[in-house]
Amino acid sequence: MPIELKLPRFAGIENRERAAAIVPERSVAGRTLVLLIAIMTFLSGVTLGGVVLVQKSAIAWSSDVGREMTIQIRPVEGEVMDSNLRTAVALAEATPGVAAARALTLEESQKLLEPWLGAGLDLTAIDIPRLVVVQLADPAEADVEKLQRDLAAVKGASLDTHAAWRQQLNVMAGTIVASGLLVLTLIVVATVLAIVFATRGTMASNREIVDVLHFIGASNNFIAGEFQGRFLTIGFRGGIFGGLAALLFFLLVGVAAGSVVPQEAGQQLGILFGRFALGIDGMFGILAVVPVIAALTAITSRMTVRRFLQKTS
Amino acid sequence: MIEFSNVGLRYGQGPEILRDLNFRIEPGTFHFLTGPSGSGKTSLLKLLLLSLRPTRGRVTLFGKDTSALDQDALLQMRRHIGIVFQEFRLLDHLTTFENVALPLRVLGEPEASYRANVTELLEWVGLGQRLDALPAVLSGGEKQRAAIARAVIGRPDILLADEPTGNVDPELSLRLVRLFAELNKMGTTIILATHELPLLDAFPFPRMILNEGEIVFAD
Repeated sequence: MPIELKLPRFAGIENRERAAAIVPERSVAGRTLVLLIAIMTFLSGVTLGGVVLVQKSAIAWSSDVGREMTIQIRPVEGEVMDSNLRTAVALAEATPGVAAARALTLEESQKLLEPWLGAGLDLTAIDIPRLVVVQLADPAEADVEKLQRDLAAVKGASLDTHAAWRQQLNVMAGTIVASGLLVLTLIVVATVLAIVFATRGTMASNREIVDVLHFIGASNNFIAGEFQGRFLTIGFRGGIFGGLAALLFFLLVGVAAGSVVPQEAGQQLGILFGRFALGIDGMFGILAVVPVIAALTAITSRMTVRRFLQKTS
Repeated sequence: MIEFSNVGLRYGQGPEILRDLNFRIEPGTFHFLTGPSGSGKTSLLKLLLLSLRPTRGRVTLFGKDTSALDQDALLQMRRHIGIVFQEFRLLDHLTTFENVALPLRVLGEPEASYRANVTELLEWVGLGQRLDALPAVLSGGEKQRAAIARAVIGRPDILLADEPTGNVDPELSLRLVRLFAELNKMGTTIILATHELPLLDAFPFPRMILNEGEIVFAD
């Protein structure tokens, strides 16, 4: 001893590269897990983006509708409509918190009825209700009750604050947001379960490495850290793919919605359903999903590995 | 250094594999552990490696009752014990150097601090030219020498070997046991399990003979 061997040397130790990973990359079901996490991140991103879109639109709707009231004046026998309209406008303008009030012209009123009665119909012979649009400077400071009291003096006048619409709108938007968050929670739970199963599979197929590490004196912490490092990389990779795909999805849908729907209809749809524009906050929201998913992957795998090690050691 | 008092071991509800083991091994000694297949040699080594707990009796290592130790203390104690297996158990994706350095790496030591020691040890076991070879291209003898180097790189006080010559030819077997004897001369307590009679006869070390779960000592 020692035994002399005349074998070629593969490389000088002076030029050694960084030590190989103790848990080899190929030993973890990497590609499948990356794909699964990418899909989960994509679904999370799309759900989150949807929630952001709905919430933004709902806030915008609610704010727009809240800044406006409508006075409706029905035709009453013996009353002069134009005079009532002027009175209503004057009363509205005298109300605190009102920025402007304007009576819709007869033509504008006819145009409003066109979708129901058709175009080209002569309505001059018929007395139709007329509207006064009241713009509020500050909805919180507008004295709506005073205006309501004052309007009692105008026969056939009634005030619509759109409160019922706003309430309905808020309930609807709230339901969609809550559903989105529920879906998001379920996606997270499904992701955690998938990672748990993948980690268990990985640990079972790497049992030899775990055993060797154990008998050479590695602590459970060290072993868990080695596996966690692998899973963190996989989580980041999958998360980045899924997050970028979700951003691309919103970009493409935004472009498609803009090009498929005619401009005028697009504007109306935009008013009703929002503009499919996530905005910077929405994009950051989706990008924030990436580190969250990566951290979730690492933490879940670490906990699963530790439980496995506690059982086996 | 090692003391067994009325130690018994059974797996689950099965029969006792080891029964009433009572012995004491002094530091710096070399013992062969022998006996027919299935006599419990590997189980006894697992008790010594602290990877199994006895179902009865007391195992004392380094003056401490191992049944009273918590997980961390067991881990610390295990770092004073090296093990060599018949099937080498090298990690296939790591080079000879990386496999041998693994016990130091898991302690968090930087490569620069152990590079020279690992290289020197590999030179000593005759693998100085095979530092960057993967286990797949090593011969059985080379693999076992790498496994021995891995077991002793952390300077263990006790070195356990479970049929370390089972996968090599008789001539190399003798060389490997000489290597263990060299390590013993440097102060390491060695327990080498084997059932190869020529090996037992070739060296003058005392024998622990296991038969049907009971142990007898013979010179």
